Amino acid sequence: MVEVGDKLVGYATDDEVRKRGASGGLVTAVLAAALEKGMVESVVVLKHIDEYEAVPIITDDVEEVLASTGSMHSVPVNLAKYAVDRKVAMPGKPCDIKAVIEQSKRNMIDLDNTYLVGLNCGGTMPPVLTKQMLIEMYDIDPEDVVGEDIEKGKLIYRTKDGNEKAISIEELEEAGFGRRKNCQYCQLKIPTNSDLACGNWGVIGDLAGSATFCEVMNEKGKKLIENAVEAGRIEVAPASDKAIAIREKVNGVMVKMGETTQEKVFTQMPDEERLPYYREALADCIDCGGCKLACPVCSCGDDAKCTLFHSLGDNYKMSMFHLVRLLHLSDSCIGCGQCTDVCPVDIPITRIQMSFSIPVQTKLNYKPGMNADEKPPFFEVMIK
Amino acid sequence: MSDFEPDILTFCCNWCSYAGADLAGVSRLQYPTNSRVIRVMCSSRVEPIHILEALKEGTDGILVTGCHIGDCHYIEGNIHTDERMKEIVDALEHLGLRDRLHLEWVSAAEGKKFQETITDFVEKIRALGPNPLKNNKKEE
Ligand SMILES: Cc1cc2nc3c(=O)[nH]c(=O)nc-3n(C[C@H](O)[C@H](O)[C@H](O)COP(=O)(O)OP(=O)(O)OC[C@H]3O[C@@H](n4cnc5c(N)ncnc54)[C@H](O)[C@@H]3O)c2cc1C
Ligand code: FES
Repeated sequence: MVEVGDKLVGYATDDEVRKRGASGGLVTAVLAAALEKGMVESVVVLKHIDEYEAVPIITDDVEEVLASTGSMHSVPVNLAKYAVDRKVAMPGKPCDIKAVIEQSKRNMIDLDNTYLVGLNCGGTMPPVLTKQMLIEMYDIDPEDVVGEDIEKGKLIYRTKDGNEKAISIEELEEAGFGRRKNCQYCQLKIPTNSDLACGNWGVIGDLAGSATFCEVMNEKGKKLIENAVEAGRIEVAPASDKAIAIREKVNGVMVKMGETTQEKVFTQMPDEERLPYYREALADCIDCGGCKLACPVCSCGDDAKCTLFHSLGDNYKMSMFHLVRLLHLSDSCIGCGQCTDVCPVDIPITRIQMSFSIPVQTKLNYKPGMNADEKPPFFEVMIK
Repeated sequence: MSDFEPDILTFCCNWCSYAGADLAGVSRLQYPTNSRVIRVMCSSRVEPIHILEALKEGTDGILVTGCHIGDCHYIEGNIHTDERMKEIVDALEHLGLRDRLHLEWVSAAEGKKFQETITDFVEKIRALGPNPLKNNKKEE
């Protein structure tokens, strides 16, 4: 029987799902089984449009779930808010899961009713820039792409004509392409905060490419796996020691890379440069409020301090909106990058916020999005 | 810079530090006139927003005062103040507004301390220079 803490390798029993799946189609099969067996009322998945576009859907149709196989590396959407007020199962990158947990701390999501199938994530790429990268760096028409892979630090694109081209991610990122900036310094690659942490690291030998590695993180994860096995949707077997070691090793390397990048990106600014930097960076803001809307941690609603104390009429370089948000999120920002993504005037909001949040969270020794029982430090002052 | 007169905002809680300010007054203790006092029921009523708003509007320094720990008339209000101010002081430092916010406990009997606190703070801010956010309307 499956136990919490088990590390398994498995795949979907449906050949079609297994083939279409990012690795073994296990995630899709587990989600479908949870829906079929009534563990949840609906499932959140991505509906594919093309290689660079997919929309999140909330569905109770098993067929739609089964059709959602595959990893969308250029769809940096955050799924957390789709789980608000619903009884769902959902896949999620580490940052999706972090956001769900933050929402649950704000009483927006009931974790008991939400099943979180985590996906390992080495990073997502911005869709528009990715197309540009294909043209400029790969000399490939984005429409001709049929698939992509990451192997030995290289990003490989396969085209309709059967050719493929690989360029090292380092080179791409130096040229300003590749993963989103926040992914480059993200340090959670295996979603240990989810119920079931799935990925392809550690899938070796004959199974490489056609099975999914999954770690059962808690009771809910155990239920997910047992339910899917019972429903006949998946087959699993314990992972070998070698497989486990490889997964650990790759993860270690990736996390280390994230740490190094973080140190590089967030060098301490001299005092006198700070205010000019923030004022300059935020001066372009057109008050669209998109960053607040897109923030998967924020649960304030329309009337929030950041908007109520802000006046368009002020026309200040240092708007109260941003000042309040900087402070308000300093303990809870998960660095998911949504605010930067939506900003119409390209303000690197995530980076600005993180330059605030990293020292605060380090000092408070608090990691948002990891443990639902650990309330944000600014929620309540602990009276010792 | 010699003619720079800092604008200081002082928050006093109703029960201790405001009484301390009163005592400084009735004792005819002299202190600089740069400070404006806002009375709040408890120091914990002072929110980050108030501080940010004051700084945004060009206040050069903000002094938050309240009862000594253990004396707060709402039992643990000032413990919240203490934690909160520490974070805001840190945040302002990240922003490049170091040393513009100061927290001090002043009891109703400490008129002298109130006088000294204001005097020291005004001098400190005078040395620091004007709030760089002054005149921060977007330039055309
Ligand atoms: C952006 C990204 C990066 C990844 N990087 C790594 C990695 O470096 N190492 C590693 O071991 N594994 C990584 N994975 C996980 C891996 O690609 C597979 O998703 C995992 O092995 C599960 O495979 P599967 O066949 O069981 O999933 P499938 O059965 O194919 O199901 C995939 C599920 O993921 C959902 N999904 C797809 N794209 C996204 C997205 N962008 N955001 C949220 N949900 C999405 C789909 O809706 C679907 O439900 C990554 C996944 C993503 C989405
Ligand atoms: S009443 Fe004075 S600090 Fe609370």
